[in-house]
Amino acid sequence: MASSTDILTDITEKDYEFGFVTDIEMDIAPAGLSEETIHFISAKKNEPEWLLDWRLKAYKAFQKQSMPHWQNFEMPDIDFQKISYYAAPKQKKQYNSLDEVDPELIATFEKLGIPLSEQKTLAGVAVDAVFDSVSVATTYKGKLKELGIIFCSFSEAVQEHPELVRKYAGSVVPHSDNIFASLNAAVFSDGSFVYIPKGVRCPMELSTYFRINTENTGQFERTLIIADEGAYVSYLEGCTAPRRDENQLHAAVVELIAMENAEIKYSTVQNWYPGDKDGKGGIYNFVTKRGICKGDNAKISWTQVETGSAITWKYPSVILQGDNSEGEFYSVAVTKNKQIADTGTKMHHIGANTRSRIISKGISAGHGQNSYRGLVQVGSNAKNARNFTQCDSLLIGDQCGAHTFPYIESKNSTATIEHEATTSKIGEDQIFYLNQRGIDTEKAVALIVNGYAREVLNQLPMEFAVEAQKLLSITLEGSVG
Amino acid sequence: MATQVAIPLYDQLSKDFQQRTVVPENEDDTLYNWRRRAFDKFRQQGFPSIRQEDWKYTNLVPYLKEELQTDLPSHDYNEITPETVQKFYINKLEANVLVLVNGELNTSLSSFHGDGDVSIQSINSAADHELYRPYMGKEIDLRHDTLAALNSALFNDGLFIEVRANAVVEKPLHIINLYTSPKNIFLQPRHLIVAHKSAAVSIIETSANINNDAIVWINSVTEVYAEQNAQVNHYVLQSGLVNTREVNHTEVTQHTHSLYNNYTVTLPGADLVRNNLNVNLVESATETHLYGLYLGADHQLIDNHTTVDHRKPNCFSNELYKGVLAGNAKAVFNGKIFVHREAQKTNAFQQNNNLLLSDKAVIDSKPQLEIFADDVKCSHGSTAGQFNNEALFYLRSRGISESSARSLLVSAFAFDVINKIKVGALRSHIEKLINQNLQKWYASK
Repeated sequence: MASSTDILTDITEKDYEFGFVTDIEMDIAPAGLSEETIHFISAKKNEPEWLLDWRLKAYKAFQKQSMPHWQNFEMPDIDFQKISYYAAPKQKKQYNSLDEVDPELIATFEKLGIPLSEQKTLAGVAVDAVFDSVSVATTYKGKLKELGIIFCSFSEAVQEHPELVRKYAGSVVPHSDNIFASLNAAVFSDGSFVYIPKGVRCPMELSTYFRINTENTGQFERTLIIADEGAYVSYLEGCTAPRRDENQLHAAVVELIAMENAEIKYSTVQNWYPGDKDGKGGIYNFVTKRGICKGDNAKISWTQVETGSAITWKYPSVILQGDNSEGEFYSVAVTKNKQIADTGTKMHHIGANTRSRIISKGISAGHGQNSYRGLVQVGSNAKNARNFTQCDSLLIGDQCGAHTFPYIESKNSTATIEHEATTSKIGEDQIFYLNQRGIDTEKAVALIVNGYAREVLNQLPMEFAVEAQKLLSITLEGSVG
Repeated sequence: MATQVAIPLYDQLSKDFQQRTVVPENEDDTLYNWRRRAFDKFRQQGFPSIRQEDWKYTNLVPYLKEELQTDLPSHDYNEITPETVQKFYINKLEANVLVLVNGELNTSLSSFHGDGDVSIQSINSAADHELYRPYMGKEIDLRHDTLAALNSALFNDGLFIEVRANAVVEKPLHIINLYTSPKNIFLQPRHLIVAHKSAAVSIIETSANINNDAIVWINSVTEVYAEQNAQVNHYVLQSGLVNTREVNHTEVTQHTHSLYNNYTVTLPGADLVRNNLNVNLVESATETHLYGLYLGADHQLIDNHTTVDHRKPNCFSNELYKGVLAGNAKAVFNGKIFVHREAQKTNAFQQNNNLLLSDKAVIDSKPQLEIFADDVKCSHGSTAGQFNNEALFYLRSRGISESSARSLLVSAFAFDVINKIKVGALRSHIEKLINQNLQKWYASK
């Protein structure tokens, strides 16, 4: 058995496994951000007038805003003028079958283990594969169509369902919400759109795989999911990205809208390039995710497993507007090398009898810095609101950090809010116990970490849970506290 | 600063400081230069605004609207007689009493003037500045704490208590802070408490505004040093402060094997109470307990900010703050625990519980942990809630009236903190005050 320090060094300096570059001709906008860029994107995508106006409004809001300064890390300098805001695979004709798709693209997906081809598709997973911003292939569309479910790329939705997009886009995350949301609204390239009609239970997990490919292209995805009255949908988002030396900015926006009695479950496994062991390169993952429980008895659940990115900075939130509505947030965030995660959630209790549950598990190794930042806000009309928050941090090695910044704001005497947080390392007694039973230290740590994260991993759909578990053990097995 | 122009006090304080261009007789250059640096910090940043994270929930602007005098009333407080002072003695408490009027030590009203173990001086009369120079302002971060900087620049006077090495002081020191002014006044007292090696002392601070008509604004700084093996029990009772607004900055520095216990009890009275309690653990193997209880009523704003800075290994800190809010009261709790990379084997705990009795009451709680060492045990918890209906039902079913049952449950909630107070007479005194408030709340229903 290798000594604990060896394993620790080995693991915390482990190279990114999915670092490779696919060479496909790209249609790239010149770097730089101006009104012209926005006109260019909008024209390229053949967008209606109102969307262009909205983009321009967002751009104005973006110009007025400055970089936030409250975060718990050194903000890297981002030159917005150096980023190219549009990149799409050159072949833009519609594919009817997989044979028509660029073989290299298929190979990339296969390397990632993405079940794009139908034979390989895990049962019940419809994939809307986003390859650098434009949807290339969508599967299972027919089956969903029968049920009246719309699952397509955002730009397609703009063309085919403009009334829905116009009504809901920007209704949860306004164009002026924050600097990155404004930037996204101004220049977003594509994304996914889901509409589940009244009373329909989506029979399969909807899934999008994101992958950033072209150098210097920030990805500005925009996802909009609407679950109409009584509908149910589970949506998966998973990411891997090839290795890069230049930092890449990812400023996505996700909006979820749950009407009366509807339920949306949104799961993320994020494993973008985290940079090398000196923190060089790596993705900046600055995402605005927010859901609204618009009607009574609605439910929104966020689950995230964050192992990648140089900086992960996001707070998937839920606005609990309808009475009896429910919000959940389950998160595992792992940071190693020089990775930074500043993540958490916001639960805004507005309606009566609203409930929220927050389970956040942070794991820091190497020089990683992990922050939980959460807000639980109870308004004066949220009678009998209930919140439970638990955020635990696990420290592996003495160079990392774990931080907790919960904000609790209550204006209601009938609300019950609980928050608890702990920070510790893996106990030597726990390791010893397992060693005693013939389990080596490496496996013991994997076992303990998996047990530690179980509460969150259990929330993931089955296929994802397997992937997430593998990711966790790749990242941390053998790390001895 | 543009935003500061709106606060008349800002200009007035600037003028006050300019009048100090001549180094006063009893100050030397070093002290004067330090004051100037501190004032520059204040001048640059002005009064804290809600845009600063530490003041996010506490807006000072409405509390600074009135015109405030910055000069102490120039009379000798003859109207305060020893009988007046005795009203503020705590029943059955055997203590050495020190009386401060408007932040200045009043020797004629005090019953204790120091002995072989304890030396009591006013900061201004401390004959030799060398005595307090090693301590004064050593740990205070003037850059981020503009009000502490303002106090450093312009403090007038205060207490300088030294407990000699190896002295175990039996009787607690009871400091009675009296405030009186015919006009609205802005006071900046400064206290320094040093417990030398292996000394042990208990300090009880109480206060009262005896002239209720005028507003008393207090911006105080207290520095406490617990040297190696010293033990300090620090009780602060904030009650009887009608028409008072106060920001208290307490900066504690602990050396190896020292023990510091702080008990802060805030009761209805003052319009605004902001307590900044910072504990710096500059050496290893220390122990710290911070207990707080706040009962807010009317339009009170009670804001407790605590920081425990674990810089060295093997330190233990424990914090428990509980609050009960009635009427339109608002409370803020912000507890920070920092554990530096070097501070391995740290045990740090923090808990904040709140009980909201009215729909107009507001609580903003923000416990936070920042940890850079791995071999630590740290946890925090925070709750906000209402009465446990089952407990209420249990009591009601045994024939206890609703108001008594409620008041009993509040007392039980407060008990966890009150029970920690080691001085029996003080504990009964606080219990009595809490009961008086509870009776008031539940009688009016």
